[in-house]
Amino acid sequence: MDISTIIFIILATIIVVSSVSVLMTPNPIYAAFSLAITMVTMGFLYFSLDADFIAGVQLIVYAGAVMVLFVMVLMLFDLEKETEAYSKGTFSVFLKLMCGLFLTGAVALSVRQSIKGLSDVAKVATPAEQVETIKLLAGRLFTQYVFAFEALGVLLLVIAIGVVAVARSRGGTHARH
Amino acid sequence: MGSDVFEITVNLVKMLFIFLLMVQLVPVLVWVERRGSAFIQSRFGPNRVGPLGLTQLLADAVKFLMKEEFVPAQGKKLLFYLAPAIALVPGAVAFGSIPLSCPVHIQRFLMLQHWWGPYDFEFQSFHFGVGIVFVLGISSLGAYALLLAGWGSANKFSLMGALRASAQMISYELALGLSLVGAILIYGTFDFTEMIAQQAQVFNFELLGHAFHLRKYGILMQPIGAILYFSSIFAETNRLPFDLPEAEGELVVGYHTEYGGLKMLMFYIGEYGHMMVGSALFVTFYLGGYTIPLLTTTQINNLFLSMGAGPNVISILTALVFHVAFFAKVLFLLWVFVWVRWTLPRFRYDQLMDLGWKTMLPWSLANVIVTAVVVAYVRSK
Amino acid sequence: MTPLFAALILFFFVLFFGLFLVWVSGLLGPKTKFNKVKSEAYECGLPSQETHNTKIPVKFYLTAILFILFDIEIIFMYPWAVSFIEFVQSGAGPYILGVMGVFLAIFIYGLFWEIKSNALEWE
Repeated sequence: MDISTIIFIILATIIVVSSVSVLMTPNPIYAAFSLAITMVTMGFLYFSLDADFIAGVQLIVYAGAVMVLFVMVLMLFDLEKETEAYSKGTFSVFLKLMCGLFLTGAVALSVRQSIKGLSDVAKVATPAEQVETIKLLAGRLFTQYVFAFEALGVLLLVIAIGVVAVARSRGGTHARH
Repeated sequence: MGSDVFEITVNLVKMLFIFLLMVQLVPVLVWVERRGSAFIQSRFGPNRVGPLGLTQLLADAVKFLMKEEFVPAQGKKLLFYLAPAIALVPGAVAFGSIPLSCPVHIQRFLMLQHWWGPYDFEFQSFHFGVGIVFVLGISSLGAYALLLAGWGSANKFSLMGALRASAQMISYELALGLSLVGAILIYGTFDFTEMIAQQAQVFNFELLGHAFHLRKYGILMQPIGAILYFSSIFAETNRLPFDLPEAEGELVVGYHTEYGGLKMLMFYIGEYGHMMVGSALFVTFYLGGYTIPLLTTTQINNLFLSMGAGPNVISILTALVFHVAFFAKVLFLLWVFVWVRWTLPRFRYDQLMDLGWKTMLPWSLANVIVTAVVVAYVRSK
Repeated sequence: MTPLFAALILFFFVLFFGLFLVWVSGLLGPKTKFNKVKSEAYECGLPSQETHNTKIPVKFYLTAILFILFDIEIIFMYPWAVSFIEFVQSGAGPYILGVMGVFLAIFIYGLFWEIKSNALEWE
C-alpha cells in the first residue's frame, strides 16, 4: 500500500464514523460537532485528490461557516420541544423518506457522471502545478460558465433578502415594531 | 515529504521545531505583554523572579501545571476537555504552511558509507500551492474551540463570550478575506514563496533628482489593503480594542471563564498562535516576507563565502539570516499588538459590528475595485 | 509523501499534544473532595438566576447567515484575482472586469440593502 491509500483509508474511516454519529447522536450539539469533523475531513480528502483550491473552499465555507451557523441555530432552539416536533408525524416521515431518496439519486447520478472522466485525470504534484489548476478552473468559470456564475450572485442576493425578511417577520429581537 | 530516511527525518524534525518555535514564543510574548504594559503605564511589571523577571515564565508554567482539575457540575466533560486541545490546532497548522526563510540547498555528502542528496529543504512544515486559501480555511476552524468551550462550560458568561467571539470573528473574516484579494490581484498567485519572490524585485524610480531603489513590497502597492488586513487581525484574535468576548466588566473573561491552569494557558497559546499567524501573513503579503530591504541573497552568500564557509554551510547560514529577518518583522508586529492594547479603549459591541460590516467591508470592496482597474490598465500595455 | 501527509501529521500531533497536556495537568494538580458549591457554574457571588440554556438573540443567526452568503461571494473572487493578470495579458481585460463588475454590483447592492434595512443594526 502506498501512502495515499493509507491516507484515504484513515480519512474515509473518520468520515464514515463521524457522519454515522451525526445521525445516531440524540444531542444536536454533538451531532453538529460530528458534522464539523465530517466537513473538515472532507476538506482533507479533497486535498488528497489534488483539488487543493476546492479543499480550501470546503474548509472555509463548510467547515468554517456552515458549522458556525449550525451551532448558532441549535443554540436558538429550545432543544427538547424541537426534537420531539421534528421526529413525529406521518407527513414528517414521508418528507424524510423523499429527501433521502432524492439525495441518494443525486449522489448516484453525480458519481456516475464523475467516473466517466476519471481516465484522463493528471497528477498535480508541485505547488506551481496546483496554481495552474486553479487558473484553469478560473478560465472555465469566467468564460464557459459565466452565466451560472452571475446567476449565483443573484441567488445569493435573494437568499440574503429572504433571511432578513424571515428573521424580522414574527417576534424576536429583530421584529418590525 | 521526502524520498529517503534522511530527508523524512529532517522534515519531521523541522515540523516539530516550527511547532515548538510557536509554542516557545508564547511565554516570551506573555512576558513582553506584561513588561510592555508596565513600561507603557510607567510601572515595574514582573521584575522579582530572575533578571528582568524573565524566569517568571518558568514559575508561571509550574504554577499552571500544579492547578487543581476542575469541571463545572453541569459541564459537558468531553467538549470541556476537547476545546483547549482544539484551540491549539488552527494556529499551529496554519503557521506550518508559511515560509519562514529561503530554502536550504544541501549538496551530495557522504554519511555512514552512503551517498545522500542532493536535497532542497524548504523552511516551512509543508508547502501547499494554494497557501493563502489553506491558511484561511484552517484559521476559520478557530471559532470551534471557542464555541465548544462556551457550550461545554454550561455557564452563561462562557456561552455569551463564545457567541460574541464567533460572531465577531466571522464578521471580520469578510473584511480580512476581501483585503487580501487586492494583494492577490497584484501577485497573481496563492503561493507564499512566489509572492515573496515578486516582492524581492527592485522598483527603480527618480524623485527630485535622486534615484530610488525600492523593493516592491506589498505595503507600497496596497496600503489600504494592509491597514484593513491588520485591523481585522485584531478582531480575529479577540485582542483589544476588539476584545468584547473577554470584556471583563461584563462577561468575567468570556468563553474561558470556567477554565483554569494549563487549560486556560492553552487558550492563550491558541490566541497568541493566531496572532503569530496573522503577523506572519502580514509580513508575507505586505512586508516582503523573509527578504531584507537592502541586502540580496548573493550579497549574503558572498559575505559567508569570504569567511571561507562551504556551500552547505553558506546555504544554512543564509537561511538563518533570512529567518532572523522574518522574525524581526513578526516580533515588531507582535509588539504593535501590545502597543495598541494599551493605547486604544475597548469598542462597544454595536460599534465593533458597524466598523466591520459598514466601514471595513465597503472600504475593502473599493480597494479591490480600484486595484483591479489599475492592474488591468498597467498590465495591458 | 505529500504536503497533505505532513499537514495531517501536524494536525493530529498538535491535537494529541493538547489532550496530553490536559491529562497531565489533571494528574499533577491537587485532588480535592467534590464540593457542590464550588462546582456550580461561575456567577459573581449570587446564585445563578439564568442557566446556560438561555435564549439567544436572532441577530447572531442573522449575522452568521449573512456572513456565509458574503463569504461565498468573496471565495469566488479568489480564482478571479489569481487569474486576473493572465486574462488581462491575453487581451480579455475589459471582459473579465465586466464579469466581476456585474457580480460585484449585485454584491454591493446586497450589502447596501442589508445596511439600509437595519439588518446589521446592533442596538
